[in-house]
Amino acid sequence: MSHSIMIMCEQSEGRILAVTDELIACATQIADHYDSRLTAVLPGLITEPCSISGADLLVINSPGLAQYTCEGWEKAALLATEQIKPKIIIIAHTSTGYDYAPRLAALLEGCCLTSVSGIEITGDSISYRRSGFHGKLDLLYGVGKAPLVITVLPGAFPAPDWQAEPGITRIIDADIKPKLTSHVQFSIPDQSNTELDHAEVIVAAGKGIGQAENLLMIRDMASCFKRSAIAGSRVACDNGWIEYNAQVGLTGKKVSPLLYVACGISGSAQHISGMKDSKTVVSINRDPEAAIFRYSDICIVEDLEKFIPAFLQEAKKHQS
Amino acid sequence: MRILTCIKQVPDPESRPMINQEKTWAEYGEYTSYWINRYDEHAVEEALRIREMIPGTTVDIVSIGPERIKSAIRRCLEMGADRGFHLFIDSEDYLSPSIKSRLIAEFCHDMKYDLILTGVMSEDMMSGQTGPMLAARLGIPSATSVMKLSVNGLEGSIQVERELDSGHRCSMDLTLPALVGVQSGINRPRYPSLSNVMRAKNTEIIQIRLENSLLKVVSCETVEKIQEAGSDRAGIRLAGTTAEKAAVLWRMLREKSLL
Repeated sequence: MSHSIMIMCEQSEGRILAVTDELIACATQIADHYDSRLTAVLPGLITEPCSISGADLLVINSPGLAQYTCEGWEKAALLATEQIKPKIIIIAHTSTGYDYAPRLAALLEGCCLTSVSGIEITGDSISYRRSGFHGKLDLLYGVGKAPLVITVLPGAFPAPDWQAEPGITRIIDADIKPKLTSHVQFSIPDQSNTELDHAEVIVAAGKGIGQAENLLMIRDMASCFKRSAIAGSRVACDNGWIEYNAQVGLTGKKVSPLLYVACGISGSAQHISGMKDSKTVVSINRDPEAAIFRYSDICIVEDLEKFIPAFLQEAKKHQS
Repeated sequence: MRILTCIKQVPDPESRPMINQEKTWAEYGEYTSYWINRYDEHAVEEALRIREMIPGTTVDIVSIGPERIKSAIRRCLEMGADRGFHLFIDSEDYLSPSIKSRLIAEFCHDMKYDLILTGVMSEDMMSGQTGPMLAARLGIPSATSVMKLSVNGLEGSIQVERELDSGHRCSMDLTLPALVGVQSGINRPRYPSLSNVMRAKNTEIIQIRLENSLLKVVSCETVEKIQEAGSDRAGIRLAGTTAEKAAVLWRMLREKSLL
């Protein structure tokens, strides 16, 4: 029996983005097991010929899809499912993906799993891994009713470094118009923070710093290092302790310094995806189970208010 | 305007989940503190702000769960919400967002809400599904990760600004009724005022009992196995007193030429 997997391309202005290759990598893992056919779906206003390696491509072409709307993408995906009749739909866990993926699953009366980080195949069945319980535990899910919609964490399935043959491209000219969404406008706020891009050492503050006054301590710690900068987790920015242009994570900046010092950061998947490529990670957190420790080279279970002054003391000793 | 805010109660992130014997779910000890999911607290605040702007607005709260979640609903009433609905289920087991969204959709059926607010996700499970699924089941538009919200009362629409990846933004108008999943930077949730705390004391939380059998009707995903999360890096845990740890860290960073 044929088994179809549908992949929703991530695109920007009609061009397929690199994260789509990761979705294909994920789909290929499943396809090897089920002998499935892979079809990537590209919604948009597509003017140039396109194809994708490792899968067939179904273009849903419509002027109403010139820019992303939840409504438009949902309609395009529904139209594609009528053609492809997929058992599994794979979408990137990005600000577009998580916006419409659960809706799609609900409308198809199927199941949905978001921010999937891995797949485990045992015998005849496939389980999907995602983290839960504040990132402290890994959960393996089995699926119920098809279709299954999953959103895949960027970075979880590395794209293959070889190029598979491109599949066949088919175009459907559709007339999709968002009816309940209007005046869509994209903007890029001034996020320039070159300090963070060039820093060799980043000292980042999280919820655990507790109050704005403790930022001084974080700054003092940063000043122990050459070419250092300070940054913050989402919560630190929401609390006004750190500027949003110094937020590290999925919705902020992606950094990869030589040293990343996480102070009082619990380590949500959102934050981890912004700093996991750092060369060395030091974490200071009073919760011994904090998820951040799983991504750290040096783990320090301590209260920040005690530990950082002790570290500064140590630094002073060596300076004199 | 009729607003519904959906909330979830979550355990203290520093508490320790204990994996059950079957390794299919985890439980918390009896002394665990629970509070409102941080994102949902922002949703409640946003609802109250709209009520302050538009006279005649009502703010309802709904949540699904066992007895303990009453305190979270109570807290929303103390913040100023008008009514609290508790969809009671006597279980701490995994409840799929597919089911939760169905239950809330059913609850919404005769309520004629103009605007439904949720947090963008829960802090503990981080699925971010219940809101968008609920909107789809009700056939209304939705937007997630919303950092700004304003109501165009006369036009029967709202303007929202979503936060996209890498800090980009996208604003749009949505026709009401609509559902909005708010991101945490949208506002600063208020502390309950004394007068609201007193008023909440006399406000009854309306309980709607759900039959456990009702939850088995839909075939959804199930948690097959749960385990301690694996490590990406072979982290070393420093031992000793605070001063000793500080000295070791200093030495290690020095050896890596970082100091």
